Amino acid sequence: MPKTPTVHFEAASTLAVVVSSNEPLLFLSDDQKVIAASASFCRAFEIDPATVPGRRLSDLGNGEWAMPKLASLLKATASGSAHIEAYEIELRRPNHKTRQLVVNARTLDDGEIDHIRLLLAVTDVTDARAETRLKDDLLRDKAILLQEVQHRVANSLQIIASVLMQSARRVQSEEVRGHLQNAHHRVMSIAALQRQLSTSTGGNVELRSYLTQLCQSLGASMIADPGRLSIQVTVDDSAVEADVSVSLGLIVTELVINALKHAFPDERSGTIVTDYRSSGSDWTLSVADNGIGIPVGSDAPKAGLGTGIVEALAKNLKGEIQLSDARPGTVVTVSHRESAGLQTDLSAAA
Amino acid sequence: MNNGIAVVLVVEDSAIIRMGAVDLVLSAGYEALEARDADEAIRIMESRSDIDLVFTDVQMPGTMDGIKLCHYIRERWPPVKLIVASGATILEESNLPMGSRLFSKPYDDHTIADAMARLLASEVSIGPAVEPSC
Repeated sequence: MPKTPTVHFEAASTLAVVVSSNEPLLFLSDDQKVIAASASFCRAFEIDPATVPGRRLSDLGNGEWAMPKLASLLKATASGSAHIEAYEIELRRPNHKTRQLVVNARTLDDGEIDHIRLLLAVTDVTDARAETRLKDDLLRDKAILLQEVQHRVANSLQIIASVLMQSARRVQSEEVRGHLQNAHHRVMSIAALQRQLSTSTGGNVELRSYLTQLCQSLGASMIADPGRLSIQVTVDDSAVEADVSVSLGLIVTELVINALKHAFPDERSGTIVTDYRSSGSDWTLSVADNGIGIPVGSDAPKAGLGTGIVEALAKNLKGEIQLSDARPGTVVTVSHRESAGLQTDLSAAA
Repeated sequence: MNNGIAVVLVVEDSAIIRMGAVDLVLSAGYEALEARDADEAIRIMESRSDIDLVFTDVQMPGTMDGIKLCHYIRERWPPVKLIVASGATILEESNLPMGSRLFSKPYDDHTIADAMARLLASEVSIGPAVEPSC
């Protein structure tokens, strides 16, 4: 261990601790002469360890540590009037890129009150800062990209919706028009989800706002007289994964379209209620109307594409479909019971 | 207004969406004009004085997007009503000139036709929107 040229002798253990510090560290006298420098300091800032002891901080290396701000801060620390905590400075050396340093300084507290010495820890944060900047840039790029994708999805859905609506206006057959309009509703149902997803964080979809928006959109395009027919949405605070929500949304779309088309003939007025509630992993979705009710037995309508879609989606969600007479009207319930486990017995729905 | 029929200018760069929008305007009983971008829209507006409403996309090639176009139109032709359809969800009606309506894509044709009817029925400058924009 080199001898210090100051009048005081430092304990060998103190010097050893400084020299072996993993974090670049300087041990300074109160007049800012270097008593010891850690090997990590010499390595990080390319200073020959042999030249260090006894040298003034401002004379280290090629004089790059002669920073008036640092000197005045160290002076203030030595006099006890200030602490340097995470103070940022820039180290400029010829033929080197400027490094960003974070310095911490404090007086050594070893009981020798008259003999003030300073510990100066120097962390080079240049690379960490660059990484942070890169990460910020990447995050910004990702957000822009995501917006771009959402924009493209919206535009593509608009193209599909436009084509369907143009076809629906042109065809002569009422039945074909109905099918095209249904296809349009299904596209709009997926669009409502897309919109919901683009404003939500984390990929979970809040069902209340999603189903409300969905039913509003269905009502806007299918209900000519809002005074006669209305759709209510009562949904609890459930939030579900995007995949699940798209299935639930399509089920609601089909059931609401069905109710609007068949439950209220001859200018009958009424209400459709879409309800969803969950408890643990069990959930129940229902669409109820107070219309004319569904004929049963041989008068029952032939199952259409809508019924097929609802059955397939419900099965996927491990849900059971139940159709019941609400007197007046009809209620279709899709429910999932975790306790029911894997036995999704479809005969129970019949 | 042309022979008592309202004139609507559709501004949209996607050909199929533009066709759909023109179709929707015609089915609503108005006369339709079409432009592919803001510059073409302004040229058309300079060439005739009977345009009552402009229905525009936001993201378009050319010197102006739909938002800038709306502000330009409000400045130069204040009585013209404005409806904007946007694929981005971050836009708000407050980014647009007072009284304009904003709808996100894909829009529902009935909702747009309804908004057109309401705007065209109101003669004076329109206050803040009162109905949900979906």
